[in-house]
Order: sequence, then structure tokens, then C-alpha cells
Amino acid sequence: MGVRVSVYLFLFVVMVFNLTPFFWMISTSLKTDAEAHAIPPTWWPRNPTLEEGYGKVLMWTNFPRYFFNSTLVSLSAALISTFVGALAGYGFSRFYFRGRTFLLGVLLASQMLPGVLLVGPYFKMLAKIGLYDTHLGLILAFSTLTLPFSAWLLKGFIDTVPHELDEAALLDGCTRLQAFLRVVFPLITPGMVATVIFAFLLAWGDLLWALCLTTRDSMATVTLGLSRLVTQFRIIWPQLMAGSVIAAFPPMLLYLLLQNYLVRGLTGGAVKG
Amino acid sequence: MNRKIGYSSYTGYWFVLPCFILLLGVLGFPMVMAVLNSFTPIWTKGLKGFTFAYYKKLFNDAIFLNSLFRTVYFVGATVSLHLILGLCVALALNSAIRARRFFRVMAILPWTVPDVIAGLVWACIYDPLNGLLNDLLHRLGLIASPVEWLANPSLVMPSVILADVWRGYPFVMLILLAGLQTIPKEQYEAAKVDGASAFQEFLYITLPNLKQMIAIATVLDIIWQTRRFGLIWVMTEGGPARSTEILSVLAYRQYFKFFNFEYASAISVILALILLLIGIPYIRAVSRRV
Repeated sequence: MGVRVSVYLFLFVVMVFNLTPFFWMISTSLKTDAEAHAIPPTWWPRNPTLEEGYGKVLMWTNFPRYFFNSTLVSLSAALISTFVGALAGYGFSRFYFRGRTFLLGVLLASQMLPGVLLVGPYFKMLAKIGLYDTHLGLILAFSTLTLPFSAWLLKGFIDTVPHELDEAALLDGCTRLQAFLRVVFPLITPGMVATVIFAFLLAWGDLLWALCLTTRDSMATVTLGLSRLVTQFRIIWPQLMAGSVIAAFPPMLLYLLLQNYLVRGLTGGAVKG
Repeated sequence: MNRKIGYSSYTGYWFVLPCFILLLGVLGFPMVMAVLNSFTPIWTKGLKGFTFAYYKKLFNDAIFLNSLFRTVYFVGATVSLHLILGLCVALALNSAIRARRFFRVMAILPWTVPDVIAGLVWACIYDPLNGLLNDLLHRLGLIASPVEWLANPSLVMPSVILADVWRGYPFVMLILLAGLQTIPKEQYEAAKVDGASAFQEFLYITLPNLKQMIAIATVLDIIWQTRRFGLIWVMTEGGPARSTEILSVLAYRQYFKFFNFEYASAISVILALILLLIGIPYIRAVSRRV
């Protein structure tokens, strides 16, 4: 009995630790600018208002544009990454060609590369071909950065589809590509949806690449836009926290939807979640 | 597996081709250029004048060595705290409690927030005059005057680490929880019959069964934490006085702020080598399964 009580007590303390920053973020986002600068700070906003935080960040700053940029870039990258990843996953799942193990190793190793190693030369490359400060430059970067992980995850899903199904399709006169698109593709839809969401989230949360590959404010992503608001000489917390709530909401919702795939997705299948 | 199908076919190459074209263009080419750039100003001078000077400079440079030390400190502290806290919460969630689903959702919530946003929220909590933390400590009578959590060079690293632990531990917890759920119940029942204490059960059943998961979680977390950029950038930009300038931040600043391309490339190459070295056992273990 004592053990049970201490487990609940421990979990209670952990929940307080986990939830307090959310509480503070939402509370601050509902304050007026004047109240956010009150000393000592108020824990609950005295007159909760949407106008100062949410209203101003949406009307006075470029935030809606940042949100649009993040959505466009992350979604395009996620779709490309998932489609190309599914093709590669199928190749690795169904064929034993020369160099297969080596290529799988390359795929895994490429996930270990630090962004700062790649982003500099990639920036110079984009500048040379005129893609610096464009959506396309970012989309290409995020598609590829998430690709190893998409391919790996989808290979795992394709492995669960019996290969007799492809063979039946081949006997019926389908080509390999048709067998993949018509037979396997529909069967791994849940896996594809999970992969799209994961890739979307990885791109959405990035700061480094957006910071190095864009310069105009109208090209900034939400994370970049918010990080610029914080380095201005006077920080307006209600606006910043309102922006943070809006930017944190889509990933939070998507991650909770993906709960069951979370572990498998992010360990590249090394752990069956 | 099914080695029968397509064993002698080139079709497999066609399927993986688009993937590797993208990888070559966006990761492969920049990687090669970065390595070359660490020996010579490749973008202006081409393949001439190779020199180890940039690497030599690195290991005599107090700024680099300080940054290396900061990285080890940051990664060591965050990864161990993620593991300890993650293991404790995983054990609690795996025990016979009510509303387990609810607690699980609450436990992973911080991890669903992008690290940049986590950094912003904690910066708001740490605000000396208007922040939650100083007010709380003041009400509890623990401090008399505001503490500058992010402006004091000796406090800033622990402050950033706390913010990172808040966001990072839930994922380690999930991996360990997945591991705990695969341990056969019979082992615990047998231990009960033999009269083992709860601590002995943990030591002789839980830990050995969990060993592999702990190893995977540690390697992945070390890699992610060594690459961490956004959280530190929005909280401190590496400051004050370089106190939080880990290698990823140093390399970024050297490349994009001071335009020391060769020097920055050398730093990144060292960083990449460290990561690959740590990652190799993981890569081997995973590719052996397929």
C-alpha cells in the first residue's frame, strides 16, 4: 500500500513539473503587456484577454506569414520524403541486390551527421543555383533530412505486407512499379500517414536550416520568426507566448495522434513501440 | 527473410535510386565539400593548398577547447538526467496504477513541443523580474533578490540543462517503457516465489532485460543532444561569455557570423567524427537485424 501511494505521489510531482511550463505559457499569453511586466508577476491573468497576446501577434507581426511558410515547407517536404522513402523502403524490403547492406548502413549513418556540417556548403550551393532564400531550397533540405528515417520506417511497414501479394499481381501482368503502387501502397496507408506526420514534425521544429537558408522576414518559419522576436531589445512576452502556443499546438496534437508509432518511428525500428 | 524474390534483379536499384540521388545532392555533396573545406578554401581556391593548419589551430584554441568541454558537460548532464528521470517515470507508469493512459499522455506532453518553443517558454519562466521561477523561490523565502538565471555565467548552463531535461526525458521514458512491457511476467512471479525483494527484482530481472533498450536510448540521445541547437540558440545564443557555446553553436557562429569557413568546417568535421564514432555500434546492431 505504501508503495502504491509513493508511486502516485511521485507521478503527481512529475506531472506538476511537466505541466507548469504549459500553464505559464498559456497564462502569459492571456495577459496584457502591462500585466506581464508587473512585479511581482501574477500567476493567473487578472483580466484574461485574447487581444494583447494573440491579437497583436497575428495582426502586428508577420506571424501568419511564418505559419504559412512553416506549413507549406513542412508539408511539401513530408510528402516528398514519404513518397521517395516508400519507394526506397520497397526496394530494400523486396530485393536483395549487391550493396544492399552497405546502402542500408549509409542510410542509417546519414542520420548521425550534424546539421552544422552540411548547412554551410548547402547554403553556398543554393546561393550558386539561385535557390537561397526560397521555399524550394528549404523543401529540398527537409525532404532529404527526413528521408533516411522515412525510408527506414516504411521499410518496416512494407516488411509486414506478405510478398505473395506482389507476386500475385506480377502474375496478373502488373509491372513491379504497378504492383507497388496498386497492391502494397494501399496496404501501408497507416504507415504512410504516420511517416508524413513524423517528417512534418521534424521539419516544423527545425531552426538551424531555416536560419541559414533564408534571410527575408517573409521567408521565415514559425520557429525562426519567434526566435527573432526574442532577440529584439524589448521582449513582449504575451505576444511571444501567444505565438508559441499557436506554434506548439499542431505538433502537440499530431504527436498525441501518433502515440502508438512514436517509439518505433524515432528509433528507426530498433525498438518496437 | 524471403530471399527467394527478386534476388538477381536490377529492379531493386530503381526503387532506391531517387532516395540516394537526394541523399547525394543534399547530404553527400555538402559533406564532401565541408571535409575539403576544412583543409583549404575550396570555394575560392579549389583543390589547391591543402593544409592541416586549421586542425592544428583548433587544438591550440582555448575557445574550441572550452566549447568541447561545454558540449561534454551539456550532453553528459542532459543524457544522464533524461535516463534517470525517464527510467523512474517509466517504472512508475509500468506499475499497477489507475488511469495509466492519462498519465502516459501527460508524461510525453513536453516532448511534443519543438525545442525552440521549449527554450522560449523556459526563458519566460527564468525572466528575472517577471518570471515564474524567481517569484516562486521568493514566496518560499529561498531568495531575497532576483536571480539572473540566463545572464549569470555560472548559472546559465544548469538553467539551460533543466529546460532541456524537461523537454527531452519523455522520449527516453517511452523507449524504456516499451522495453519494460516486453519483460515476461513469469520472471517476476518466479522471483516472488523465491522471496526476492522489490529491489532484487529490479536488479536481477528488470535491469538485465532492459539493458539493450537503455543502450539504444543512450546512443540516440547522445547523438540528438550533441546536435542540439535551437533550444540553446533562443535561450542564450551561446552566451553569456561563451558559457553555453556548445560545438554546434560555435560552428554555426564561426561559419555564418564570422565567415571563418575553413575553421568552422574543421569544427564540424570533428563533431561529425565524434557522432559517427558513437553511432557505429548502433548502426551495426540495427543493420544486423535486417
